Amino acid sequence: MNRLWMLGPLAWRNLWRNPRRTLITLAVVAVGVWSILAFDVMFKAWEQSSLEESLRLLTGEGQIHATGYLDDPGVGHSMPYRSGALLGALNGPAVGAWAPRVRVPAIIQSEYRTRAITLVGVEPAAERRVSDLPGQILAGRYLANDREIGIVIGGDLAVKLKTRLGKRVIVMAQAADGHLAEAGLPIIGLFGNTTPAQDEYAFVGLGAAQSTLGLNGQLSEIAFDAGPSAKLEDTVAALQRAAPGLDTETWMALSPLAYTMQQFSTSYTAIWLMVMFVLMAIGIVNTQLMAVFERTREFGLMQALGMRPATIVAQVMLESALLIGVGVLCGIVLMAVTLLPFTNGLSLGFLSAGSEMAGGGGVLYPRLDPVDTVVYATIVWVLGVMTTLWPARTAARTPPVVAMAAN
Amino acid sequence: MSAIIQCRGVTKIYRQGSVDVPALRGVDLDVEAGDFATLSGPSGSGKTTLLSLIGGLDRPTAGEISVEGQPITAMPAAQLADLRLHKIGFVFQTYSLIPVLSAVENVEFVLRLLGRPAAERLARARAVLREVGLEGLEDRRPAKLSGGQQQRVAVARALAPEPAIVLADEPTANLDSKNAEELIALMASLNTASGATFLIATHDSRVIAHSRRRIEMVDGRITADERQPVLAGA
Repeated sequence: MNRLWMLGPLAWRNLWRNPRRTLITLAVVAVGVWSILAFDVMFKAWEQSSLEESLRLLTGEGQIHATGYLDDPGVGHSMPYRSGALLGALNGPAVGAWAPRVRVPAIIQSEYRTRAITLVGVEPAAERRVSDLPGQILAGRYLANDREIGIVIGGDLAVKLKTRLGKRVIVMAQAADGHLAEAGLPIIGLFGNTTPAQDEYAFVGLGAAQSTLGLNGQLSEIAFDAGPSAKLEDTVAALQRAAPGLDTETWMALSPLAYTMQQFSTSYTAIWLMVMFVLMAIGIVNTQLMAVFERTREFGLMQALGMRPATIVAQVMLESALLIGVGVLCGIVLMAVTLLPFTNGLSLGFLSAGSEMAGGGGVLYPRLDPVDTVVYATIVWVLGVMTTLWPARTAARTPPVVAMAAN
Repeated sequence: MSAIIQCRGVTKIYRQGSVDVPALRGVDLDVEAGDFATLSGPSGSGKTTLLSLIGGLDRPTAGEISVEGQPITAMPAAQLADLRLHKIGFVFQTYSLIPVLSAVENVEFVLRLLGRPAAERLARARAVLREVGLEGLEDRRPAKLSGGQQQRVAVARALAPEPAIVLADEPTANLDSKNAEELIALMASLNTASGATFLIATHDSRVIAHSRRRIEMVDGRITADERQPVLAGA
């Protein structure tokens, strides 16, 4: 142990024997760590934005349905209006926001065209808390209350139907009693978004939808978001306990494509980060190889004086650990400073349209995740130090007489 | 007197490409504790090779070497390092100091490896540097010392832990006459004072003149081994 204590100061002095090389290695590590963190931070910010864009349209972080609704999403699988334990759980700390809906397949007809749509009956005030669609009105306005006689449809759907704001459309859907229910409704608003599938939805007031379909206060679904300090799994568990006869699912089950894309993104990020780690390790090993091999003679001398081979290895590794450790810290500080101007979000400017087409938002919120930072910093540090193991072992294994004869 | 170093049939063959080059050819040698012996002979006679093998810096192709009765030929590298640390001090032809350490830190280095307490090792390092005439230069790094001063630091480092054996390879080769004379006198007086065994490979007639035992080597063999009194005034 005493031998190891002497290595620290010696290691530090050795680092500054060749200040230029030390500074270059520090820069390689710092820039490498910065770029790894930057890539991770930006990719995760975009991933989060993309996910929020997707979930904030209709899905929410989870939904409650009558059993069987997800297999047959019709009026036949409705559930009673919220009450009792479920209402208590929905208004509890585990749930941040929730919105009741009627959601059934329907036909919409203008003077010229007919199309299949999904008719969604909403409570406008509650809907605004779980969905961004009410804020995406291109023309007209969103529903004012759940009894309003009017319909909000997508801008593209209006084009396909050859209709426009203020015109009437006929909506037909199967009622609870099995008959075909229909209603003539004026178009009061047109919404626009970047996901074409969302354009196939039409929104009416919840009360109006229930009376048209004869649902007598029944619902198709309740969309919810977890509370600010609650985990989604805990929220789902609380709701399942409150309504054991209903089907409560997370967005991962409801939107398997979005979930798969997120998983794919995570895997892609991991692979790309590994590539960056390896490239950086190659940079480090080259400079460390030079640093070790040009001191072969000195390591021979140290062995001749009685330093054990294992202590030589420890000496080289300690130098490497110090150098890479300082480089990693510099990289983290650099990244933190880089993110300072973007604490209120990073506007993508002219790239916004492209980002929105790809499912992301126009403003990203890059954040340095402490866990990710520690994990990546540790990987770089350990990997960097491990790359020095080979030259260190080579130096320690060279017989002293051979090492001391080296130029 | 008992043999502190014992060599039996020591052979060393270096392989250069496809050619075997014998450096030592069956050397038998006993060095007694307290000897002040020189190994002399022409270049390539095997002096440095023999010192390296005795110090465990290299391994013989054949034969056996013992230091204080311990066979070292098959000793693991870590154990050999411990043996050198505790028993043997080296002085090399080139100054061989650690460039990032000051004179006193170079001397302290071995004492630190030995685990001596800080105050003790600093006092000892300063005392030995004073003995070799480097008082006032303790905090200079090797680059700020002359060749003679560096070699004195190397001698101080070899002697600081009070080893039983000092192996010196051409210690005066890179020194001017004055520095060489001073170093020879220093080693001789330390041999007398501490009783450490000195085995010195050298061409230098002044060193040979001071030795009490003169071993001559030619072509990897010992050709002469004489004990004689030190020449007066040498």
